[in-house]
Amino acid sequence: MTSDQRFTTLAWLATLLAALLLPVLSGFDRYILHVAITITLNVALATSLWLIWTLGFISFAHAGFMGIGAYASALLFTKLGWPLWAGMWFGALIAGAIALFISLPLMRTRAVYFFMASWAVGEVIKRVFAYYRDFFGGWDGIFNIAPPKLLLFGLEIDFASRVAYYYLALILCALIVLAIARLNGSRTGMIYWSIHQNETLAQHIGIDVFRHKVICFTVACIFAGLTGALYAHYHTYINPKSFDIWKSEFALVHIIVGGLSSIGGPVIGAVSLTIVDELLRATGYFRVIFFGVVLIATVLLLPGGLETIPGRLRRLIRSGERR
Amino acid sequence: MSLDEFVQMSLTGVNLGLMYALIAIGLTLIFGVMRIIQYAHGELFMLGAFFLYYWFVEWGLPYWLGVAASAVVIFVVGALLQVLLFRPLMGQSILYPLAVSMGLIFIISSGGLLVFGTTVKGIPSVVSGGTMVLGAFYSYERMVISLFSAGLIVSLWFVLQKTTIGMAMRAVSEDPEVSALQGIRTRRIHWIAFGMGSALAAVAGCLMGTLLSIVPTMGFLATIKAFMIVIMGGLGSVPGALVGGMILGFIDSFVTTLVSADVAYIMSFVVIFLILVFRPSGLFGQQWD
Repeated sequence: MTSDQRFTTLAWLATLLAALLLPVLSGFDRYILHVAITITLNVALATSLWLIWTLGFISFAHAGFMGIGAYASALLFTKLGWPLWAGMWFGALIAGAIALFISLPLMRTRAVYFFMASWAVGEVIKRVFAYYRDFFGGWDGIFNIAPPKLLLFGLEIDFASRVAYYYLALILCALIVLAIARLNGSRTGMIYWSIHQNETLAQHIGIDVFRHKVICFTVACIFAGLTGALYAHYHTYINPKSFDIWKSEFALVHIIVGGLSSIGGPVIGAVSLTIVDELLRATGYFRVIFFGVVLIATVLLLPGGLETIPGRLRRLIRSGERR
Repeated sequence: MSLDEFVQMSLTGVNLGLMYALIAIGLTLIFGVMRIIQYAHGELFMLGAFFLYYWFVEWGLPYWLGVAASAVVIFVVGALLQVLLFRPLMGQSILYPLAVSMGLIFIISSGGLLVFGTTVKGIPSVVSGGTMVLGAFYSYERMVISLFSAGLIVSLWFVLQKTTIGMAMRAVSEDPEVSALQGIRTRRIHWIAFGMGSALAAVAGCLMGTLLSIVPTMGFLATIKAFMIVIMGGLGSVPGALVGGMILGFIDSFVTTLVSADVAYIMSFVVIFLILVFRPSGLFGQQWD
């Protein structure tokens, strides 16, 4: 194990430990727990968006698929009384099925056109939710989505409590990140990066590029659907605006600021920008302005994103030692 | 649908289409020359409209001079943005300029709310009256706007085809390195193209300002329309932007009148999607990598 790998493993373990201890450290503060849950959901969304990026694509429809998962799970709960435990998987499954169906034509487009086309898909998904008032509740959305309860060894856990919900979201988020990290480290992940670098060459060495693209997109959207179901049951209220183009754009911003080359990028980006966003909440109108300034400054002054900071520091220390 | 309804909707469609095309041509010009996605294009449209509002309504200066002044000011703003923010990112992944322009949207639209306030403003029209065309009412105002937009598009076409600077722009969008070898100063072409594209958006903002209500958040809708058009027509293609603008204008006019605005919006996205399925680079576009 090289020192780089050891550092990475340690960093992941430290993050996980900090995340597990957070409720205790914050003294079960309700506001901090709310921010923490938002962070876990953002991390899950950004990471699954990053999975599509390993192909070289950026999907603007990602929040839309999150919405599909959220609406499916919420409707199953409000109309049929299914709890989150069942609705979550159905939501993910429906998001995946729609993603599979849409990606067949969508993946014919390339580069810039892809994210334009995916942007159209995202808008259509949102507008469909808004248009069918009777079924999806129109712009008003869906109310009264209760968080689930779980009977475990005779002990009832009510996830209306933020601590419980935080751990639920954290476990799911960690599993999503782990799954994507494993996928990225596998042979399939290498195939994705080879498509990213040179699609024509990948095709020529015998990779079924189209099939891999469709599968990758579908898998990422399944994760987005899961995240959406968690979102719906946490907020207990969803409307089409929760899943509009800005949600996808914020996930994209998280990836760009965090870094594009490894899975650490979306995680660190989503964590730090969500915190920055919360810190700026007190500044009112200036909040969005500051957010824009932070975004532009990071892109211009820190090429490669936040994930390059450890490497930069190490190089700085080494050049200091040499002197 | 009777004939006069059909004529009425067609006139509205042409009018909308020309103005949409004006915004979209600016965007497609910027993409063609620089290969960046200027997501904040609509914000410059909004700034153009607000400049005219202050010029014409608050300061009481002449209207048409205000349109020209707005174009000049936004040209300078666009050129400065290019030099300061987008030039350092040339040659990098297309995501970085995209992120910068998203940051610009945040800054300009929220800054607009702070500076201009949240009250809805409007520019009174300078042309009144109208005429009947085949049983449909056609106001002189819309006629002037259509003719002005069409004239501007034609003159832009002329600039791109006949003048040295226009040819240099087309050369840079064709192949930046070879055109640099031929002695074209590509960096200068970049800021000129960015400024020109922004100025076109500003003029469109001034023209639509009399028809729409002016609010600091109006920019994003313009961005959406412009993007829908350039995807349909093909990025970097000026005729494509014109055709795309017309398609969108007609969908907006006909479907909104016959069904509803929501359906028109969804339908235009479906049309875009279908165009991309059958022609993955838009109607007139080429494949960019």
